[in-house]
This record gives sequence, structure tokens and C-alpha cells, in this order.
Amino acid sequence: MKNREQRDLFPGALEMMILRTLKQQPLHGYALAQHIKRTSNDLLQIEEGSLYPALQRLLKDQLVKAEWGISSTNRRVRIYRLTPAGAKHLAHEVSRFEKMLEGITRVLAPGES
Amino acid sequence: MSWLKQLFSRRRFHDELSEEIQEHIEEKIEELVARGMTRTEAAYTARREFGNVTLSQEDSRDVWRWPSTEDFFMDIGYGLRTLGRNPGFTAVAVLTLALGIGANTAIFSLLNAVLLRTLPVNNPSQLVLFGAGKWGGIIDEVPNRGWQLFSYPFYRQVQRDNGVFSDVSAISSMSNEVHGTIGEGTDAEAINARLVSGTYFSTIGVNPILGRTFTDDDDRIPGGSPVAVASYAWWKRRFGGDPAIIGNKMSIGPTVYTVIGVTPEEFFGTTAGESPDVWIPLAMEELLPPGWKGLNDKRFQSLYIIARRKPDVRIEQAQTNVNVLFKQAVRELLGSQPTTKQLDDIQHAHIELTSAARGISRLRVQFSKPLRVLMAAVALVLLIACTNIANLLLARATNRQREIAVRMSIGAGRLRVIRQLLTESFLLAMFGTVLGIALATWTSKLLLVMVSAGPQTLPLDVAPDSRVLLFTLLLSLATPLLFGMAPAWRAARVELNSSLKQRQSPGPVHNPLAKALIVSQVALSLVLLIGAGLFLRTLVNLTNVDMGFNKNRVLLFQIEPASVGYKEDSRLARLYEQIEQRVSAVPGVHAASFSMFTFNQGSWSEDAWAQEESAEAKSNREILYNRVGTGFFSTMGLPLVAGRTFGRQDTENSQKGAVINETMARRFFPNESPLGRRFRLGGPDAKPENDKIVIGVVKDAKYMALKEQPWPAAYLAYSQDVGYLWDFEVRFSGDARSTVAAVRQAIREVDPRLPVSGAGTLAEQVDRSIVDQRLTAQLSSFFSLVAVFLACTGIYGLMSYAVVNRTREIGIRVALGARQGQVLTLIMLQGFVLAAGGVAVGIALAFIFTRFLASLLFAVRPFDPATFVCVAFLLTLIALTACYLPARRAMRVDPMVALRYE
Repeated sequence: MKNREQRDLFPGALEMMILRTLKQQPLHGYALAQHIKRTSNDLLQIEEGSLYPALQRLLKDQLVKAEWGISSTNRRVRIYRLTPAGAKHLAHEVSRFEKMLEGITRVLAPGES
Repeated sequence: MSWLKQLFSRRRFHDELSEEIQEHIEEKIEELVARGMTRTEAAYTARREFGNVTLSQEDSRDVWRWPSTEDFFMDIGYGLRTLGRNPGFTAVAVLTLALGIGANTAIFSLLNAVLLRTLPVNNPSQLVLFGAGKWGGIIDEVPNRGWQLFSYPFYRQVQRDNGVFSDVSAISSMSNEVHGTIGEGTDAEAINARLVSGTYFSTIGVNPILGRTFTDDDDRIPGGSPVAVASYAWWKRRFGGDPAIIGNKMSIGPTVYTVIGVTPEEFFGTTAGESPDVWIPLAMEELLPPGWKGLNDKRFQSLYIIARRKPDVRIEQAQTNVNVLFKQAVRELLGSQPTTKQLDDIQHAHIELTSAARGISRLRVQFSKPLRVLMAAVALVLLIACTNIANLLLARATNRQREIAVRMSIGAGRLRVIRQLLTESFLLAMFGTVLGIALATWTSKLLLVMVSAGPQTLPLDVAPDSRVLLFTLLLSLATPLLFGMAPAWRAARVELNSSLKQRQSPGPVHNPLAKALIVSQVALSLVLLIGAGLFLRTLVNLTNVDMGFNKNRVLLFQIEPASVGYKEDSRLARLYEQIEQRVSAVPGVHAASFSMFTFNQGSWSEDAWAQEESAEAKSNREILYNRVGTGFFSTMGLPLVAGRTFGRQDTENSQKGAVINETMARRFFPNESPLGRRFRLGGPDAKPENDKIVIGVVKDAKYMALKEQPWPAAYLAYSQDVGYLWDFEVRFSGDARSTVAAVRQAIREVDPRLPVSGAGTLAEQVDRSIVDQRLTAQLSSFFSLVAVFLACTGIYGLMSYAVVNRTREIGIRVALGARQGQVLTLIMLQGFVLAAGGVAVGIALAFIFTRFLASLLFAVRPFDPATFVCVAFLLTLIALTACYLPARRAMRVDPMVALRYE
């Protein structure tokens, strides 16, 4: 079967970044995409389209909620915001990620054997 | 339940998502334009950076999907469309399955009704029957083996002294076919009455829907409680379901009975295939025609005993208890000074308790084996039907290879494809099942008529019940796995590249699976054909049996003088004589006579003893005897071999004579002419007044069944020893219907009150005696023909396919000079190899299986070489015919057309 996740991200990474971004402020899809791109200094190649399935997954798990509103550019958009459950999930995921990162860094660090 | 909401607001969700994505892209374009791109450039860039819009939408939707269920519905939708696009294939497959499943359901319905269904009462599993319930009638022997019929005193003893039953009941093993008048009516009508103990309904656990049933008090005083319980069917038929039936009067013979209750609709009595109109307490036995006198007679053993076990008592425990009582009762029968042989004999007397949960059923004994065999036959038919459909599916899968390859190349997984194909199989099975059930409800009624063989259909409920439906449901689930699995598996194993490139694939012809299917089809049909052949030969052998009498042009009537007050005395004998004389004078009637039995109506047997008897007679003294009128032998067409038959000189006061058959003559008078010799009916211990003098010898005949070994038999004259005679037979020529009317008129002239029924023929009676063999032969022939037909369509289909696939090859051969005959041989050979393989496998299988049929065959061995050879030859011939049509098409291949075709 095919893996439709972005290849250079691990599973759940996109969701984590979305949650982290939404923690600061509620955003609509396009703004969210731009924000993630900008903050990562375009290091992460994300197809903007892959944002939407990820958002749906978060909606389904009730980590974010969405409502229709008007954007600053006067468009009818769906604005996503973090739920309390989303905040908790984010904290958990971040600490998990940090642990994992620490592990990987140690293994990759030169000099130690 | 957000996903549930999603499931139902699919379209809105889709629209919103599109809108959201659309806005996203436009916002991006605007921003890019603002940064200085041209609009076209911006649109292009936006789309590129967004990625695949459709995929994004699908993935978003997928998040919410309930994948297996939705895929399932999608598969069904797709499957229905695919089947709809191939109406020919679908129709053939559905019909084939309907035939297979319908046949299985129909036979199973019958098997269920006859063999499996339990009585519609509370806790039927607690009910036990004393003995196997295979006997019926009256037996006056001292028990000396496994016993099945019991006396009224023994029933009372068990009821009183047992410690294992909560209730004990007794049922007469014979029905009383009486005539009576109902209410104010004056016309005698036939009533089927059954004598039962007062405890019958409470033991079985049947509650009345109207009035009450019997209590033990209704069965205490002989002749003292003229009450009757009506069956639901009789109540509906005779009284139109009027509740006023309770308290209604009914006179039978000398007695006026009062109807006190009605049983529930589903209760037919305890004997499968019989349904009494009314039940009457055993205490009335002597007053109910024919007036048996068995209530106080310990040797008058004519009852079945059914008892209900106490909940904590196991059947073995109950059996031990019952046998203690039985041994005691049997010992008492012998009197004070038994011989050693008698004491030895009763050592073998015992009662085996059997489950009465399904009631008593002689039908079960008769049809158990045939129904099992037929069940196996229809199972084989279904198997053949499945292989046929499997082959169709294989061929179709080949045609669909491109479609499947396309589906797999755009990302469908192999399992996904298999599931899709199996869904189609399940759909086929479902349609087949629905049609099959419809077919079965109709055919099972037809089957019931075939089983009944008489003018009246057996009162059996063959409508599908939950067990039948469960059986069919299992079939409908099992069959698609059987026929769909292999083809689906194969179909999903496509080589993507070659399939997409190739226009025409090699097809199933070179597919070993397809060949194996054909071979097994031919093999299975051969097994069925051989079975059917054996049964047909059995039937033919049975109909060709020398019965000893002439069954043609004899009418049978039942006349019942007991119901209108005749006693067993000389007045009865005079009535019989008058009727015989009057009827014999009817134009077209050659002879007429009363008798106790004709053919296949049971028999009385007794021990006989003659001074000169052979050793064979010493070891087995049992003879059959019949009581007849003077015209009996000419009526039945029984040829006289020596001496004379009965005449006017044989009266009550003359010496008691007997006409015996050849076997009895040989066995009891081995070395001399039996004429004028004596034998004693009842054996050596009987009184001398039972001596009979042999006045004539007639040819042997069949008495109870066509299959029976020759019995020694004696005929006595009713004029010398009168008793009720059930049968009146009339040999006639000319028109049957007008003769029946004339005979009835003649009887009416003798006594207008006499109830006369029957008016069938002796030939019908003979036919009826082999109804189980006929049913087996007819149905197995039918099913084997269906099987052969299916196998042929299988071969035909495969060979047609082969010819289409080899068109090019054939074209080249013809172009290179092959003659038409050679082409024909080429194709026929291919078919012949398959057919011959199937026949070989089939013969091997038949050798294994036909031995199980031995007990159902008559005068033909299970390995009858003639049947084997004929059937093998026949099947090969049929198979080759099925090959010939495609082969002829191959023969006509025009090389130019064939080569240009590619």
C-alpha cells in the first residue's frame, strides 16, 4: 500500500506542528500553511494539500475545532482552534518527541561509543 | 458521534472541503500576484505547491470513513452493476444455484419433517418410548427379545410401580378407522380414532386450546367414560372451527361420545405422518369398533408406552428400573410350571428406552435411509453446480483480466480485488438462495405428495422452519466460498504488464484448475448416474417380481359392519355371504370376496405344528394366516395347485379346513401330499380344537412386501371361524367407475347403513408398497440427469472457449493442409481426454460409495457391472456430444478469416 504522508516527516509530525501553531492563535488553512512554512524557514517541504487530511484527523480526534468565519483578506474561511484536549495532546507529543530527539542525537553524536 | 454525522452529511462535507481548498488556492494566487507574478504563473505555482487537490480531498474524506462497511457497500454496488452487465452469465449462474440450493432445501425440509423435528410439546427431550416403535398391531407371544408393544395391565403396572417417571402414558399402535354419526346427523362418516390412556396428554405435555383433555379418571372404568378429544384439523374441517364443538355428541357403534376438548394446531399426535381426528380413552376399547378386548389381557400386547423422565433421572437409570418391572411381568405370563426353553427365552426379553422427543415414526424407519441417500445426491448436485459456476467465473476472470489489471495498476490491492470478486459470488449465491427457497417451498409439497403415495397427503408440515432456513443460510454462505474462492484467487494473480498489453489471454483451456473442475464434474455425475441406475434397476426388479396373484382389475373396498352394530357372530358371516353373492351378480364382476388382508396391509402370524413337520419348521414354526371368503382365490387370481378351495360345504359345523401355500406344504408336510393332513394353529402347545385339515394347496404369493422371502401361509374360511374382515375385493372387467357405483349400490341393497370406503385398486396398493423405492429411483434419476446436464454445459463451455482460443492455431493447421476431419479429431480428443478422466475417477468413487446403498437395492448388486458399464458408456457419449458442437465450429474455421483476425 502507499504511504501518503510526506516522505521527509515522521508520522504525526505534521499534526504536531499544526497543534503547536494553533496553540498561539486560531488560524485558517492557508494562514496555517504559510505560518508553518515561514517558521521552518522553508526547511520542511510540505505539500500544502497534505494539511487538509491532517486537519481532518485532528478534527475527528477532537483535538481542534473549526468554524466558518471571515479572514483578514475578507474571504469565507474555516478557522481552526485548539481544544483543551488538543493542548494536552500537544504537550504529551512534544515531550515524547524531545525524548526521541535526545536519543537520536546521542546516537548520532560523534566521539561516544 | 461526529463520524456518524459525517456519514450522513456526506455531500455537505464534500462541498465545504472543496470550498475551503478552493479559497486556499485563490488566496495563494492573489498573494503571488501581489508579489508580482502574472496570473497564469501564479495559478500554476499555487497548484504545484498545493499538490494533488483530488488526493487531498479523498484523503480528507477517508479520515472520516468507516472503511470496511463503505467498501462493502461499494463492492455490492459494483458487483450488482457487473452482474447486470452480463445478464446471460448472471441468469445461468443464478438458475444453476437456485436449482442446487432449491433441491437441497426441499429434500432437507422433508428430511427435517420426517427425521428431525421434535414434538411441539414442553421439554420433548424428557420423553422416552419403550422400544423402538417399529412394530404395530397386536402380539400375543411371550416376550423373548427386545420388546416394543405392551399390554394395558403392564402399562398400569409401570405407572404404579416405577420410580423414575413423572408420568406414563399408553397409545394404541393401531388407529381405529371407524364410522360414526355426528350431532343430529344420520349419515355415517369416517372418523380416524386413536385410543390413548387418560394420562396421554398430560404426559406428552399438550394443553387444549378449547375445553379439557383427558385425566386418568377418564380411563378407569371400562366402557365408563365416553369422551373424545378432537384434533385441531378435524375441528376446522368438520366443525368450521366452531367453539360449540365442546359438548357435541358423536355416536360410534353402540356408544355416544361427548367431545370435551380440542388440541392445538401444531399437534398432530405422537406418530409422524398420522393425524387422528379424535382421541378416545383406552377404557373404551371394547366398545370402539372393532372392539378389541385387551384391557385385562396380559398377552394382548398392542400399546406403545411413552413416559416422561423425572428431570434428574438419566435414561440408563430409567431403563434399569423399567426392565426390572418387565422381567417380573414376563415371568408372570408363563404361569406356574414353565419349561426350561420358555425360561430360557424370557432371558432375552428386554426393553430398550429410546427418545420419544420426535414421536413414534414408522415413516422414519421407512424413509430414513432413502432420505439420507437423496440428501447426499442433492449435495452432489450442488457441488457440481458449484464447479460449473466456478468454471464460468474462471472463464469470465480471463475476460476480465484487463479490467482487473487496470484496477490493480491504479492501486487496488490484491485482497481488495479478491474481496470484490467474492462479493460478486456472494451476490450470485444470495439471488440463487432466494430463488431456491421459492423453488423449495413449491417442490417440497410435491415431494410430500410423492411420499404419501395414497389419495391423501401425509399430514406432515414441510414448510420451512427455522432449522431449514438456517440450513439454507449456511448453504448460501458456503457455496460462494466453494465456487468463488479459487477463481477469485487466480484472477487476482495477474501479471500486470502482460495483461495490459495482451488483447486475448490464453484462457482457461490451458488452466489445470478448469480441467480439474471438468473432470470432477464428470466424475460426480457418474457417481450419481450409477446410483440412479442401481435404484432404477431395483425398481424394475421390484415391479417384475412374481407376486403370485394377479394385481390387475381388482377393486378394494373397506366395509365396516362393527360401526353399525354387527357382532362377531354368525349374523356377520351371513352378511358377508350376502354381500359376496349380491356383488358377484353385478354385470362385469367376475368374483368377489371378503378377507382379513390383501397385500401390504400387515398380517397375522401364528405358530403352526404338524406331526410330519420338517426340521426347518421345528426351528421356526411361524406362519402367516388370513381369513377369507369362498371366492377369494379366484378374485385374487391365486392358482390352485392341489385339492380344492373353500365351498358351501365348509360351514361352522363341518370340519375346519385350511388352504395352505406351497412353502407351508413343503415345510410342514415334507414327504407326502398335505391333502387331508392336519396341522395345529398356535403351535404344539395349543388346544386340539385348533387343528385344521388341509383341503388345498395354492401357489406362493407375496403377502406383506415385494422384497420378502417366501412365507409359509394358511387361509381359513370365515364361514367356519367368523371375525371382522377389513377388506372386500372385487375382480371385474369393463369400466372401473361404473363398477364401483354398481358395487356400492349392491352393498346398499344388503344393508343401507353399512359404511363403505376405499374403492382403490389392488394395483395401486402394490404400487404404494414400494413408494420409498420409487421415490428414491425417480428423484435420484432426476438429480443425476440435472448433474449430467450441468456437467455437459461445463464441457461445452470449456470446449467452446478452447475453440475460440485456438482459432489461429486451427487456421494455420488448415492453411497447412489439415483436413476438416483432422481438426474435428483434434478438438474431440481434447474433450474425450477430459471425459474419460472424469469417468475413470467416477468409477473409482462409485466403487467406494455404492456399497452403502446395498440395503436399498433389490436383486441387483452394488457393483452391478452392467450398470457401471452402461452408465460409463452413456456418460462418455453425452460428453462427446457436448464437445461435438464446438468441434464442428472449429472444423469450419476459414484459415483466411482466422489469420486475419489477429
